Amino acid sequence: MKMGRATQHFVDINLERCNGCVLCMKACPMKAIRIMKDEKAHILGTCIDCGSCISICPKNAIEPKTSLPVEGDKGKYTIVTVSPVMYTQFGDEVMPNEIITALKGFYNEVYDQAYMHELFNLATEIHIRERRKDPNTKWPLISPICPVVNRLIYHRFPTLLPQFLPFLTPREIAARELRKKALERSSLKPEEISVYHITPCSAKMISVKQPLLSDRSFLDGVIGINQIYPKLKRPLGHITGDEIYHYSGGIGIGWARSGGEIEGLEGIRSLAVSGIKETIAYLERLELGLLEGVEYVEFRACHEGCIGGPLAALDRYEAKRITERLVRMFGINKRVKFGYVKKLYDSGFFNAAKDPTTLAKANGIDMKSSLERAKEVYHLWELLPQKDCGACGSPDCMSFAEDIIDGLQTPDRCVFFNTRR
Amino acid sequence: MLKGSKGSHNGPLLSRSYFIKARDFQSAGKASIQIKGLLKELGYPQGIVRRATICAYEAEMNVVMYGSDGDITVTIYPQLICLRIQDQGPGIEDIQLAMQEGYSTAPPEYREMGFGAGMGLPNMKANADMMEIVSSPNQGTLVHLDFSLDATP
Repeated sequence: MKMGRATQHFVDINLERCNGCVLCMKACPMKAIRIMKDEKAHILGTCIDCGSCISICPKNAIEPKTSLPVEGDKGKYTIVTVSPVMYTQFGDEVMPNEIITALKGFYNEVYDQAYMHELFNLATEIHIRERRKDPNTKWPLISPICPVVNRLIYHRFPTLLPQFLPFLTPREIAARELRKKALERSSLKPEEISVYHITPCSAKMISVKQPLLSDRSFLDGVIGINQIYPKLKRPLGHITGDEIYHYSGGIGIGWARSGGEIEGLEGIRSLAVSGIKETIAYLERLELGLLEGVEYVEFRACHEGCIGGPLAALDRYEAKRITERLVRMFGINKRVKFGYVKKLYDSGFFNAAKDPTTLAKANGIDMKSSLERAKEVYHLWELLPQKDCGACGSPDCMSFAEDIIDGLQTPDRCVFFNTRR
Repeated sequence: MLKGSKGSHNGPLLSRSYFIKARDFQSAGKASIQIKGLLKELGYPQGIVRRATICAYEAEMNVVMYGSDGDITVTIYPQLICLRIQDQGPGIEDIQLAMQEGYSTAPPEYREMGFGAGMGLPNMKANADMMEIVSSPNQGTLVHLDFSLDATP
């Protein structure tokens, strides 16, 4: 992949702490990181904010950028929409309602986003049943929930763009509705309201700042679960009052882990894939047309789904156990009415602002020069040791050859070249 | 002989080979995915990439299922992509028969896996601009496929 086309990203490498080891560069599925001559890691290619580098860095030198004020914007009416992953972070004894109650101490409004997941699930079913009647539908449809997967498809598998479920994400729909309701209920001006999303996901920030399926996001920013977690521990021990804020059932909460989204789909032949490598492998197969008979695929870039997100506070398997427990406890029967969701669906409540089929950009590659380049790269690669060690600062020998041809690297950075001489 | 590749005055611009391991269903498809990646990176239009990779995959699966270890070579000419797949397997007894839709020698276990519907070779023929098979019993099989840039929408 050609370097030097760095896209906007929300991952920061702290150069003070980075010691130039190769782990992040090796872990990057986009091969976007290089260790330059300063012996520090730099993001030079297309970053999809997957967080692989964040999790692997032994120096904790890589940090996602989130909107930091955990207390909310000063002087603004602050609303948060809470990912159900939050409900799984505080152990077996703490129930979702207590967590929402505790959050209410920080924000003006707290929304149980899992409820929106249940509406979304039913709408997905309705949409798929409708699409079955259209012989031109390219199956399977792809879940638009994971911002990393969306970016991965946009940059590496643009032929699959038309297969996105053309819906806004539940967090965006929730933010839109919450904003609308707050305006109706109060004398607030639009600029006096801010809506944040509490999430385990390091990629939500980019989906807020640069949404793919709409022109602008209804969210103002995101708060990492690990940011709010320490502040919540204490108030959680002193919950008083017995007001009910938590409405969602097991279907909505189950979205926290891989397979949760498709669990809510009845009578749809679907598949859940989690992990960035697994996702890439399946997208390759999808592009070859090999997933026959599947109607919907839930992709999550993080292992085990969103509970595996880089901003989660609890270990993913521990969180998975608690998710399963909550799902059993609240049951997987539908809590939303078909007629209600159908009406919302028909009114365009769920629709993405942009038609995914129009997203594909021209690849903009000049074939003649790309062929010349490929030829040079290949000849150079044949001269390299092909040990893919990464010591030169490029993730493998093929990338090193590309980087040399592109003028980013010099051959003397290969340790094997040096010792042989 | 091989029409097109011979006809061009320029030599090949690029040629790469990928190994295919027989009976290895775990990594089956890997070579096709690499070829797809190469063509995408080179900036070929979607249509020709799709046609070439469908054929590459069908051919690769044939080697995995019926052949012995083989390889697939992609060669790029100015107006042409050539795929050459060869193996040292049992060969094809009657090529004309093998080209018929629905004809298959697949054992039941392959059919259970969803393969062996007898559509592989016909599907390749439909997607390639030129297809040639050289094979005789116990002599292995060589499949040559051409994809013309001019023919692609």
